[in-house]
Amino acid sequence: MNASTRYNRQMILPEIGEKGQEKLAKAKVLVIGAGGLGAAVLPYLAAAGVGEIGIADHDVIEISNLQRQVIYTTAAVGKYKADESKLMLEALNPLVKVNSIAERLAAHNAISLFENYDIIVDATDSLAVKYLINDACLVTNKPMVYGSVFRFEGQVSVFNYKNGPTYRCLFPEENTFAENCNDAGVVGVSVGIIGLLQAGEVLKMILETGEVLSGKLLVYSILNNEQQKYDFEKNNDIRIDSLSFEEKYKIEEDNNEIEAERILNQIDLEDVLFLDVRNPDELPEIRMKNSILIPLTELEKELENLDPDKTIYIFCQSGMRSKLALEILLKKNFKKVKSIKGGAVVLNQLLKKEKALT
Amino acid sequence: MIEIKYFGAVAEKTRCTFEKVLSSDISLQDLLQDLEEKYQLDSLAFSVAVNQKIIPKATDYKLKTSDVVALLPPFAGG
Repeated sequence: MNASTRYNRQMILPEIGEKGQEKLAKAKVLVIGAGGLGAAVLPYLAAAGVGEIGIADHDVIEISNLQRQVIYTTAAVGKYKADESKLMLEALNPLVKVNSIAERLAAHNAISLFENYDIIVDATDSLAVKYLINDACLVTNKPMVYGSVFRFEGQVSVFNYKNGPTYRCLFPEENTFAENCNDAGVVGVSVGIIGLLQAGEVLKMILETGEVLSGKLLVYSILNNEQQKYDFEKNNDIRIDSLSFEEKYKIEEDNNEIEAERILNQIDLEDVLFLDVRNPDELPEIRMKNSILIPLTELEKELENLDPDKTIYIFCQSGMRSKLALEILLKKNFKKVKSIKGGAVVLNQLLKKEKALT
Repeated sequence: MIEIKYFGAVAEKTRCTFEKVLSSDISLQDLLQDLEEKYQLDSLAFSVAVNQKIIPKATDYKLKTSDVVALLPPFAGG
């Protein structure tokens, strides 16, 4: 297959040429998250001839993903996103090497994974993971291409580019909550546009052309097509190295998550508390003998109503907020706390099943 | 008139994407405190920009009438 024919239309650009195409072929880019943003970033990187692309995603394709994750077919529902997107990219451009990594990104695998790539693309849907990616990028000295969406608005930036400002310089308050697409709702074009802006930043960095969004937050609104760039500076007080990274993420290594089915038999136990951190109007309503509802936003005010001697199992709708609640409780020296994997959705299914059996 | 722009979850609370306030001689910190009380923003994290530049919320800055303030929360969707 003739590469110069395939890439002709971009190689005739003075900014790319043969040299630029060689740079692309030598580049290694890791895309974390093969959801809505990833579905936009990935095919454009592969089509442009980025030599090696890693796809890290532990999720399987669901039917409700398809309105925005346009690289998947209906027939692929139930399959791993990392595997399916690899097949898609290889069919699009066999000249590109694609690595599928169908595991959850965590502190224990992030560093070794990042070391194999030049540029890390954050196409995830969780604040906690964004901080993890940021910190691992600092340890491995890689630039991080950030993209994020809230309904019809999106944000794009590049962190740690040539030692530039980081995610923590922009958003220093780590223990916060922001709704992801599953909770807030999203249209496909929002993630598509933001994902393409991210792909553009990746290509510019590889080609060393144009201005990279380093120290700038781009905010785009689909509804009125307004876009703004906000400048931000590096905060030199924030230092993350391999030692502080290990220290910070040690807690996560202890695995504070638990499968719902393993604790169903503890529902009636006196020294156990099930803590629902959703808002009161969220469905399905789950009430048990020893459950209590405290929305995440109220949790810090209500801590005195929780007994630190009890084993506390936290849940929310999908398992995101419960992790933040977990961090809050751990910081306040609650020792026996775990977050229920899959949240209310999984818990409700299991409870229903149990009811049907008895 | 000071213009204030709201984004993401902050705009959900304020129910508008921008507004103008007639305040003279107000500091950034006071304005933020007023807004946090008026719209109950205390549970939300956001960064603050004045005239397209993000500055620490605690910056001692007296707002001028032509200033544009933006409240920028992190987004999480992807």
